[in-house]
Amino acid sequence: MQLKNVIDSPCGLRFILQKLELQSGFARRCLLDMEMLTDADAIQESYGVLCHFARFLADTDHVRISTLLFKLQGVKDIRTTIKNLEQKATLDDIELFEVKHLAILAVDVKKLLRQHGLDQVVEVPDLDEVITILDPDGLKIASFYIYDSYCEQLKDLRIQMRQHPEQNDQLLLEANELELGVRADLSKQLHHFAPAIRQALLALAHIDISLAKAAQMHHMGLCFPVISTDGTSRYEGLFHPQVKDALESNGRSFQPVDISYGLKPTLITGANMGGKTVVLKTLTLCQYLFQFGFGIPAAMVTIDVKSHIFFCIGDEQSVEKGLSSFAAEMKNIDAVIKASRNERKLLALIDEPARTTNPTEGAALVAALLKVLADADMSLILTTHYDIEPGDARCLRVKGFVDGVMDYSLVEVHDGEVPHEALNIAQALDIDSQWINLAREIINKNERIL
Amino acid sequence: MPFINEILNYSSLSIVGLEKNTGKTECLKYVLKRMPVDSRRIAVTSIGIDGETVDQVTRTQKPEIVLQQGMFFATSEAHYKLRRLVSELVDVSDENTSLGRVVTAKALTTGKILLSGPPSATGLIRWMNQMQRIGIDLTIIDGALSRLSSASPAVSQSMILATGAAYSANMNTLVQKTAFIVQLINLPLADEKKRNLFGPLDQGSWWLDADGTLNPLSSATSLSKHIHFQGMERCSTIYVAGALVDGFIEKVRANKDLRQVEIVVKDFTRIFVSPQLFRLFLKAGGRVTVLQKSKLIAVTVNPVSPTGFVLDSDILCQKLSEAIELPVYDLLKN
Repeated sequence: MQLKNVIDSPCGLRFILQKLELQSGFARRCLLDMEMLTDADAIQESYGVLCHFARFLADTDHVRISTLLFKLQGVKDIRTTIKNLEQKATLDDIELFEVKHLAILAVDVKKLLRQHGLDQVVEVPDLDEVITILDPDGLKIASFYIYDSYCEQLKDLRIQMRQHPEQNDQLLLEANELELGVRADLSKQLHHFAPAIRQALLALAHIDISLAKAAQMHHMGLCFPVISTDGTSRYEGLFHPQVKDALESNGRSFQPVDISYGLKPTLITGANMGGKTVVLKTLTLCQYLFQFGFGIPAAMVTIDVKSHIFFCIGDEQSVEKGLSSFAAEMKNIDAVIKASRNERKLLALIDEPARTTNPTEGAALVAALLKVLADADMSLILTTHYDIEPGDARCLRVKGFVDGVMDYSLVEVHDGEVPHEALNIAQALDIDSQWINLAREIINKNERIL
Repeated sequence: MPFINEILNYSSLSIVGLEKNTGKTECLKYVLKRMPVDSRRIAVTSIGIDGETVDQVTRTQKPEIVLQQGMFFATSEAHYKLRRLVSELVDVSDENTSLGRVVTAKALTTGKILLSGPPSATGLIRWMNQMQRIGIDLTIIDGALSRLSSASPAVSQSMILATGAAYSANMNTLVQKTAFIVQLINLPLADEKKRNLFGPLDQGSWWLDADGTLNPLSSATSLSKHIHFQGMERCSTIYVAGALVDGFIEKVRANKDLRQVEIVVKDFTRIFVSPQLFRLFLKAGGRVTVLQKSKLIAVTVNPVSPTGFVLDSDILCQKLSEAIELPVYDLLKN
């Protein structure tokens, strides 16, 4: 699973990536091509690197940081050139220029990292010899042509060209032949360095990504996670950066929530507009951010590593596939059930399953889903408005309206009973009173009949 | 030639042809040949693919130009490989054109190159800034006044306009049409406050009331037929981020309150209004100003049309010069 496959997950991952200030387009491509980490050691290692860069940003003066960022802006995607080099092709001037440009950048960046003790954190291979090959006059500037000093004959020809411009066409032909020979020779010499050049290119992208992630942690107030060892994930002060941003731009604030879940199913109930969906979105987002090595939007977190993440938000109609919202949802949940039979360490977050059908069948589907998934090696979090028997599931409820103000925090309850606050909330939203009052009368009548 | 010295007063120059075969390339060659490369660092490029210059099939149809030793130039990868001089690469950009990326190099011998360049306005501006950073004194842009080109020559400080029999074979029409373009190029800059206010607005049409409050115009585009100007009695200025067309001016003219209005556009290339209507609007008290303008240094003429028709060079130069109050040159004749 690569980052680019999940970037449009409705959990809001794209927002985080859009806010990530990378210096080069190549780094962005590398990040999008990154495989999701499913190994605790690999995740630990990536946060170790991130931690070094976060400290670097905190402790280093602005000028030095800008110098490094400016260097990283110069990184270009020269993988095609490197591939040509690996395949022993003769590079043209533009490709040789690209190699030289990268080698000089890599050496400069390495020097900067060494000054801050970061050269061991991300290892940039030594490309001094590459520079020597492509800078025969030791000019130390990132420009390139087939220098006179590569070939005496070429040098003489060029002197003639400057003295007798009228003979240029003939002289150029001869010079081109000689240049071709020099290029072939240079490419041969550089061939051995192809792996080191490739590694340097990737290392520069890695540094760019790590710096951007570290800066983002600071700007968004994200935290470093602890890797869970007991299968439980615990979040304190959890928030959704995009929702928080939107609220704050309207002069409102986001109420962070605390939540934890383990390998037993978790059932979240609560009033409409109580933030249940936002909780699921945020948990999904956090799990992805964790397994792609980003900072986590919370005050303190411990997260369990998962191998697969499923986020079923329900209201996605699939017009292209000709599925109704109910059918699309059923297919998505079906995929979770199938995976639960073969795979381990799953995380499934399902928002109001079967919400679009009648309450009788809907409630039955949800209750049965809990039973079907009860024994799988997975963390399952469900939200619902249906009254169902929770069985083994842990039940959390949004506190809801307290003195006319929505309290979004989650409290543990011991039954699956759902709050009946829809009409109060509709009233608070100033929905047509005739409609709402009529609904209230109907409920009262039904209750009398029961 | 007097205008060579004037060019050196500016840090950028674009050479704009009103039509194919109006002698734009001749003018560029003429200027490049006379640039003092010993005392000035010069860089030259062209505005991308402008629909007229590059043959997409043979890819080589564009005329070659001669660079002096020491000049910098930007061209596409494909054209760079066809260069007929020794040159040192200094940059390869990320920006892709249909002829590959744009590369910048320095000529180490005198010789010929094919010129192409950044395909977009932002790419061109970025290149010009980059040239300034590496110490270039003057950037020269082979510009095209074509609606196909998204890069406007108005980003340069100064401009030379090439016109000729190819633009119109009737001398009076040619003089009138050229004079109108010159009038547009010479439109005054909007005042600084308005330039700062409108500069960042890339889309839509906007108006300012007497207190200086910015309001969006009713319709999103200035091309719309449904645009209306109700409730704009106190409007002093209208800004059109896109194209200014006949229909818009007619609607403005139809509104009594807007007789004295100032219409601001990005630069002269955004104006697609017929000369008659434009003059009527100005005569009634309206004003048109621009956010970006180039100093027009000179106009060059090519009296020969590609169909073989030839105008009298001396009379053409004289008539045009009278109409535009600027020096006019026939470079081939001189």
